Amino acid sequence: MIVAFNLREHPDSMANDAATILYEDNDDNLRTISLAGRLDIQGTEAIGNKFAILSASDKHRIVVDLTALDFLASIGIRSLVSNAKAQQQRGGRLVLFVGDNAAVAKVLKTTGIDTVIPMFADAAEARKAALA
Amino acid sequence: MASAERVAELSIQADTAEVRRASQWLEAAALQQRVPAEQIARLDLCLNEALANTLAHGGPSARLSEVLLHFRVHQESGVHEAAVTVSDAGIAFDPLAYQPGPRADSLEEIEPGGLGLIMMREAADDLGYLRSEGRNLLTVTVRWDEAAESRPQA
Repeated sequence: MIVAFNLREHPDSMANDAATILYEDNDDNLRTISLAGRLDIQGTEAIGNKFAILSASDKHRIVVDLTALDFLASIGIRSLVSNAKAQQQRGGRLVLFVGDNAAVAKVLKTTGIDTVIPMFADAAEARKAALA
Repeated sequence: MASAERVAELSIQADTAEVRRASQWLEAAALQQRVPAEQIARLDLCLNEALANTLAHGGPSARLSEVLLHFRVHQESGVHEAAVTVSDAGIAFDPLAYQPGPRADSLEEIEPGGLGLIMMREAADDLGYLRSEGRNLLTVTVRWDEAAESRPQA
């Protein structure tokens, strides 16, 4: 059976979920990096370098906003871990903000990542933890 | 009463660019069979991790041959089942035999490997492995009841 797939009929299709990365710096030396879309192999490769560069700040503590992630694969998790490790090694901190993204939170809990990288459902708590 | 099985098949190259195409195929095939969004997401996660393992650890024989994907749905006595089988020509590897190490307590201790298999075991209701004619065949199965099917789909 050949399955035809018309993207116009499926506007919410995962085919449209290209990974994107944005960031915002505030006066408290806090940088919020927002990841959206699919963090599968292709998505992680697309944003990986920029994510590493943005996370490698000596000046900023980092909150990674995952609320708009539609999909998180193990390769995406390894990117989070790698950048969190790098921040820690230079004396900084990287925390995760998941909001009400239950699917992403579940994956991070299943893999135990939430016990080694602080994870928060509340944005204010995430910012406070990053700056502590 | 059981329903007849519905199937779909796809062959892809063992290449990172093909992994998303595999996900798109799975989504289309599953939506055609009215598989709920939550179950599609579980299968998609497992499909991605299975293909990532093939690419990362399957060796040259995996990359030189096509990866065959098979999707089926089945229903019996009010229980629905959807399964994806990933067949590759890579090095023999039984993911069911993998034993994860102790969970890391700190970032320093954490090892990069094994996360995908942990995720698959959590997401799937069943994982089945077979080595046949020089190919690995990994089957991921999810199940749901009719009450779950009638909930609004995403």
